[in-house]
Amino acid sequence: MNWFAWRQHRKQFLVFGILLALFAALLIPTSINYWHQYQHALTTCATNPNTPSCSDLSSSLFTSSVDGLVRIGAVLGTFGLPILLGLFIGSPLIAKEYEEGTNKLAWTQSVSRRKWLTVRLAWALGFALLYGIVLTLLITWWSRTLNTMTQYRFIQGHFETQGLMPIAYSMFFTAVGFMTGAWFRKTLLSFAVTFGVFVLCTASFANWIRPHYMTPITVTSEIGPGAIDNKIPAGAWVLKRGDLVNKNGREVSFDVPNFPSECQQYTQNIQVPNGGHIARVKASGVDPVIECLNRYGFHQVAKYQPPYRYWDFQRIEAGIYLGMTALVVGATYWLVLRRDA
Amino acid sequence: MGATAIQTKQLGKRYGSFWALENCDISVPEGSVSALVGPNGAGKSTLLKLLVGLSSASKGASEVLGKSPVQHEDFLSDIGYLAQEIPLYKSLNARDHIAMGKNLNKRWDEKLVVSRLKELNIPLDRPVGKLSGGQRAQVALALALAKKPKLLLLDEPVAALDPLARHDFLASLAQAVADGGLTVVMSSHLLADLERVSDHVIVLAAGQTQLCDDIETVLAEHKLLVGPREHAKALGDGVHVIHETFTPKQSTLLVRMSKGAKLPAHMLQHEPNIEEIILAYMGQAKEGGAA
Repeated sequence: MNWFAWRQHRKQFLVFGILLALFAALLIPTSINYWHQYQHALTTCATNPNTPSCSDLSSSLFTSSVDGLVRIGAVLGTFGLPILLGLFIGSPLIAKEYEEGTNKLAWTQSVSRRKWLTVRLAWALGFALLYGIVLTLLITWWSRTLNTMTQYRFIQGHFETQGLMPIAYSMFFTAVGFMTGAWFRKTLLSFAVTFGVFVLCTASFANWIRPHYMTPITVTSEIGPGAIDNKIPAGAWVLKRGDLVNKNGREVSFDVPNFPSECQQYTQNIQVPNGGHIARVKASGVDPVIECLNRYGFHQVAKYQPPYRYWDFQRIEAGIYLGMTALVVGATYWLVLRRDA
Repeated sequence: MGATAIQTKQLGKRYGSFWALENCDISVPEGSVSALVGPNGAGKSTLLKLLVGLSSASKGASEVLGKSPVQHEDFLSDIGYLAQEIPLYKSLNARDHIAMGKNLNKRWDEKLVVSRLKELNIPLDRPVGKLSGGQRAQVALALALAKKPKLLLLDEPVAALDPLARHDFLASLAQAVADGGLTVVMSSHLLADLERVSDHVIVLAAGQTQLCDDIETVLAEHKLLVGPREHAKALGDGVHVIHETFTPKQSTLLVRMSKGAKLPAHMLQHEPNIEEIILAYMGQAKEGGAA
């Protein structure tokens, strides 16, 4: 059974191997180049601290249009390869057998349907696991320069493209592919649904689920430029930054009607010319409004996940995805073994 | 009478609220070649899928080679099955399929399948998707036979083939049967083809068994009677009318005789052929369904 499973997959495995090699051809040279450039800039800035670009390296390094393309390519590849596994290895795995009737050929040899399924799924998931591991080693190593320079690896879009997540995605979307294939028995429909699950999962985890794995840390400060930023450690995943809290401790929006009446008077001075009242007052410069709000006990609040929780979050989210993978695999067994051919 | 290869009792399969097969009782003796006939939608494919365990029965029971059909290697290793659309992996060639069979079966006669296909001049290295329909059917049959099955279930294997390919296929099948130890159930709606290879007949119509017996017995028990209409009303005991056609003056009856029953002497007797008998049973089911 193993030989035939390999025979059925070997072309796909080869194509995916080539894709990964192409991706490596983009990442390996740029990774080395970026690291060297960064180290070089650090050395330059240590000897000549007054070089203008040294105040903020992240806004001067790797900002050319080519670098932009490389960075987009890195993100696309890291998100894209796992979902491609789902679409091109997962979806047809069972659906194509149903579509072409070959399931009836395979299931009437001297191999039980359960064993057939187990071997097929094991090859697909085994490949996805291996693929995810190589992919994440590559991309996590590539990300070291930007991780050190920008400390952004915890925020959305970066969290998903390194660490354990590429492995979790590879396994999960492959499983979703073959489960929906077994369910609908149509490769194209399975394609569409798998892609839908991908969009839904990545979006909802980043926005609604991930922030709640651990209680975020809350810090407050008086109102003023940079006051709250100084309390947030570098590399933190900031969920909320600088929202206004009134003297009763309630969070209010930065809108004039929420200000004490005395402070509202100051806002008259900076009313916009077209006559409408000011929707938001920017906390910039020494502003009488800000002074007034501070006097009335208003302050700013920020919520964040500290950088030391990064690996906890990686473990939790990858764990959730692997749990979902197990459920989806169970559903596949149910769909294939309980239903008629 | 030898042992029984297939025995079903009140076997039924329902899809939603539609019974594709209902109260199906058949018995197939070991070593026979059974023709499973019936109009489209009669439940032939459904029955064969139930017998090989590809689908599960909604009611009733079946025993195939002494086992209840399940998708398990002990059961499957004794059965060869050819699905209606003759499914093969289109991008793989015959050699790959032979390797598949070797990988997926404990008992596998590779020499047999290779020599059979070479004899038929079927290219082993061309993807089966590029072979003709007749060649594909031969590949599928050779694969099924290479398992050395005790029972071969064929679902309309010749339906899509041209007359020559059909002839070749049936010749291959007949040769395999002649080699011995094989029970065959083959469904078709091409009656003439079945007559050539089979010695047992099962007529399925409207989801139910109409007839299941040896062809010899069937031929011996059925008569075609022609006579005036009034005589057709009094036939005596043990004579069952299966099908009846009228002209204003005379009736043509196909009847089944119980043992020892006497035929009415005043009607002309003919020996019907198996095709006429099968058609009569299918017609009966149709009228019964319409009533």
